[in-house]
Amino acid sequence: MSIQYKTINELSQMLKSRDISNKELIQETFNLIDANLHLNAFITLNKDASLLKAEELDKNLSLQPLSGIPIAQKDLFCTKDLRTTCGSNMLSNFIPPYSATVIENLENAGCVSVGKTNMDEFAMGSSNETSFYGNVQNPWGDKLVPGGSSGGSAAAVAAGIVPAASGTDTGGSIRQPASLCGISGLKPTYGRISRWGMIAFASSLDQAGPMARTAEDCALLLNQMCSHDLKDTTSLDETIPDFTENLDKPIKGLKIGLVKEFDLSQLDKEVVKVFEESKKQYETLGAEFIEISLPNISLSVPTYYVVAPAECSSNLSRFDGVKFGKRCDDPKDLEELYIKTRSEGFGDEVKRRILIGSYVLSAGFYDAYYKKAQQVRRLIKNDFDDAFKKVDVIMSPTTRGAAFEEGSKGDDPIQMYLEDLFTIPANLAGLPALSIPNGMVDGKPIGLQLIGNFLEENKLLRAAHNFQLSTDWHKKTPKGDIQS
Amino acid sequence: MDKKTVSTIAYLSRLSLDEENGEKITKDLENIIKFVNQLEDANTQNIEPLASPLEKTAKTREDKVTAQNRKDIFLERSPKSNDDYFLVPRVVE
Repeated sequence: MSIQYKTINELSQMLKSRDISNKELIQETFNLIDANLHLNAFITLNKDASLLKAEELDKNLSLQPLSGIPIAQKDLFCTKDLRTTCGSNMLSNFIPPYSATVIENLENAGCVSVGKTNMDEFAMGSSNETSFYGNVQNPWGDKLVPGGSSGGSAAAVAAGIVPAASGTDTGGSIRQPASLCGISGLKPTYGRISRWGMIAFASSLDQAGPMARTAEDCALLLNQMCSHDLKDTTSLDETIPDFTENLDKPIKGLKIGLVKEFDLSQLDKEVVKVFEESKKQYETLGAEFIEISLPNISLSVPTYYVVAPAECSSNLSRFDGVKFGKRCDDPKDLEELYIKTRSEGFGDEVKRRILIGSYVLSAGFYDAYYKKAQQVRRLIKNDFDDAFKKVDVIMSPTTRGAAFEEGSKGDDPIQMYLEDLFTIPANLAGLPALSIPNGMVDGKPIGLQLIGNFLEENKLLRAAHNFQLSTDWHKKTPKGDIQS
Repeated sequence: MDKKTVSTIAYLSRLSLDEENGEKITKDLENIIKFVNQLEDANTQNIEPLASPLEKTAKTREDKVTAQNRKDIFLERSPKSNDDYFLVPRVVE
């Protein structure tokens, strides 16, 4: 019995009814990994430990909610005794002595971490082309990028290798690859999921989240990923609801905001058509549309490209070749040790961002750039606060288009930065947002973004699940539609 | 943004840029800074900077030692160490 493209619930049922054993499921997952090596979705595999855990689960019946479910973990999360590279040469030899809280949470819920997925170096990129370990192929076509930075996670789910993957989202790194690979992905409210053990890029923006075939599966994963963690001072001490509750409840009367300032006329006609069709679908489901204004939204990308590099230049100063990771050969003194190690260990995009960060934080420029960007960040957050007085969720395309070809954005970094135009605002404001597949453009999937108010993941997931109950876009795979 | 500024911030960042790379990066940085200069247009008079979306003060906890001594585990992961210390080239001659 094939396990490819199965959802979490389907695999759980197969395990419960003993159609498949835990060991068979994991063995079959590794067969799928082997059959898809050309995707380059994984950096490190965890085969022996995974098979061992599966055997244990076969011996001792477990009632854990995600018992036996194979999951791919983004290589940005520390995994105890399993190499964690963050897509960088700098950490090519790094074996963490502990696991990230979110990894522990998922594993304690029964998940089997089958491997670590490829990603843009230190999560800096929107196409997976900055990974030291090579590009990831989008399963939807040759030479197509999977998006980034969680490109390997998105590709592994889209290819039906695993039903679930972890991702992280600093400016769109879960939602953009989810859109480009035709899967569902959620960035929760900032603070919902502990950042302990996540290798930091921009600490005030970074948030982990689930990537899966459906919104329902994202809810199942989110239930296990969230926790209040004393080891992360920004971890929220808020009630964690059951995110699967009331998913089926109709959304009649849901108020959906459309952002006046998002100029869709600049997008490809096909992309706009897909978006308009989704609006009709939501109307059929009883939702109503309200135009809202986010007057400062056009400043989101420039704000992000001050705040994120500033935090990155500070966070990445820990990679100095002294305590862990790579060290250059034969440094003549301590300074050369630092400079040579960092120059050899980091790729160009990471260097670029460190340099921008150092520049905007340096004396004389701090007020003009960093402080200014933080002020604009508050204006953007205030705009959202006002909008959510009128609407329940805000809807937009996730991306400006479908998956593009490797190398097609040229070497102008700003073109790549604009890829995250629609996704960055939610990170700046700390709001939850998700992407679900909502159509095809030139035979390639594309996603719909819903942004919710602070802590209102439930509303987002319910709106997404209702859409998926009434459409089949999430059942499309590179090899045809899933029959149900 | 000129070559001198770039070499200063490169040094502050403890990065070295080779000649070819240096020129490309200088151009990129110039463009990126031009791009973020749009922020000048925003009226931010009397607006408090927002450093984090939560705006909560870090919580304090009881003053109890919770950390364990795991010196060996950490030293083992270092590129160079002895039984007690991380090792780097001699700093004081």
